[in-house]
Amino acid sequence: MEYFIQQLFTALGYGSALAVLAAGYTMTFGIIGLVNFAHGEVFMIGALAAYFIIQVAMLPFWAGIIAALAGSVIIALMIERVAFKPVRGVGMITLFITSLGASTVLRNTTILLFNDRLKKFPRPNFLEGAYKLGNLFIYKRIVFVVLITILICIMLVFLVKKTKIGIAMRSISYNINIAQTLGINTEMVIIIVFMISASLAGISGLFWGILFGSVQASMGALPVVYAFIASILGGVGNVLGAIIGGYIIAIGSSLLVAYLPLDLVGFKPLFAWVIFFALLIIKPSGLFRANIK
Amino acid sequence: MIAKPILEVKEVIAGYGKMSVLNNISIRVNQGEVVTLLGSNGVGKSTTLKTILGQTDIKQGEIIYKGINLLALKTYAIAALGISYCPEGRQIFGNLTIKENLISGAYLIKSKQKFNENLEQVYNLFPILKERKNQLSTSLSGGEQEMLSIARALMGSPDLLLLDEPSLGLAPKLVDLISEIIRNINETGVSILLIEQNAKLALDNANYGYLMRKGAIALEGTAEELLKTDRVKDIYLGIGKV
Repeated sequence: MEYFIQQLFTALGYGSALAVLAAGYTMTFGIIGLVNFAHGEVFMIGALAAYFIIQVAMLPFWAGIIAALAGSVIIALMIERVAFKPVRGVGMITLFITSLGASTVLRNTTILLFNDRLKKFPRPNFLEGAYKLGNLFIYKRIVFVVLITILICIMLVFLVKKTKIGIAMRSISYNINIAQTLGINTEMVIIIVFMISASLAGISGLFWGILFGSVQASMGALPVVYAFIASILGGVGNVLGAIIGGYIIAIGSSLLVAYLPLDLVGFKPLFAWVIFFALLIIKPSGLFRANIK
Repeated sequence: MIAKPILEVKEVIAGYGKMSVLNNISIRVNQGEVVTLLGSNGVGKSTTLKTILGQTDIKQGEIIYKGINLLALKTYAIAALGISYCPEGRQIFGNLTIKENLISGAYLIKSKQKFNENLEQVYNLFPILKERKNQLSTSLSGGEQEMLSIARALMGSPDLLLLDEPSLGLAPKLVDLISEIIRNINETGVSILLIEQNAKLALDNANYGYLMRKGAIALEGTAEELLKTDRVKDIYLGIGKV
């Protein structure tokens, strides 16, 4: 039992990183039907930006947070400008292909420039160590990322459900032409959504560094697939659903590994795919109400 | 006295991509008037409204609203000048509640007080929307959805309302109600450009009318004149010889 709870708790950290990544993913997915595989590279750029500021430039942790946010937002706006805006409205498949292109170019350019070795991500002192509760280790870093995730979740749900801009976002996701006739500056709203989505990817990248202690140029490749599955799981465009979806995938795959025999741990990624295919067969609309038609 | 125009569409040729749907259209809506655009299916009535809103490709001509040329403006900027649109087939946001649909219509209203006034006004006009404000908009019946669509357009305090087929698919009793609502809205000083298949409903409420045929204006005149013309019925049904 203790083993189970310990595994569950540890998975909450990984789950928070996926949840925040998926929340950003589902927002751009919902508003312009974008299946964005370059989101993983936005996540990676955020993590690497923080790494360079904290580890290489030896600046304080808060400067790393700013670097992660700024790096992610700038790269996401560049991707939007180059890869998405010119083909918007042509269809989901085209957007998906240009996102794959942007992802490949960014990942490989980063590998060429900085190689793909693991880079040590320094954790600030206040996140080192653990509290001990009976035989359980409550790691400070996990408590930290879970609390931040809850805070982000509350802010996002409030933004999408209660504010005028949130209502504008949802109306655009349903019918962009009609939204325009109501005076909604759809271009501006879409850019805002991209910025929020990128900030979330940057925060997720920071979480990754804090949790695992290292970052690398190819780190975005797998998490972005999980973020995609999590956003389908939660209902496209549904922020809270994506967050829950992220936790389900992380907890499920961690527990799977915890109980599999040692020589089968390579099956960890299997969980997300099993969930994905089961979902496509049983309930393709996701567990929660999607925000688009 | 010559009435002051709020909207003038001048010799416009427009369509989608290379295809032209509108072939040299000129329409004038005077301040405070109801003007109707008649014609059978597929003659370009809805395209005319979309062209005014900047959602088609205009090849020639100009559209002047309150002295401003709309041609270079984006749709949302055109809406910001005080033009509201109530599209054919309701087109309410099915993923939003009734209240949220109304908030989306008031996107441009910055003052909280003005917003509450407008909300009060549409709730008075359509009490059913107030009763069910927190329900998903798709839970409404067809007629109620039409009311929501009109209410959403009114939330933006328009000076000019573009109404596309408000009576489409509604029961006769509701058609009378829509007619009454159009008059009510017009009495508050809103100019209306009304598209209707139901020629009687349209001409009963309009000051002036245009009859479209194959993307062009076939006939125009005051509502009384048009009602008297035999040709209206003929052309309207698409069987007349123009």
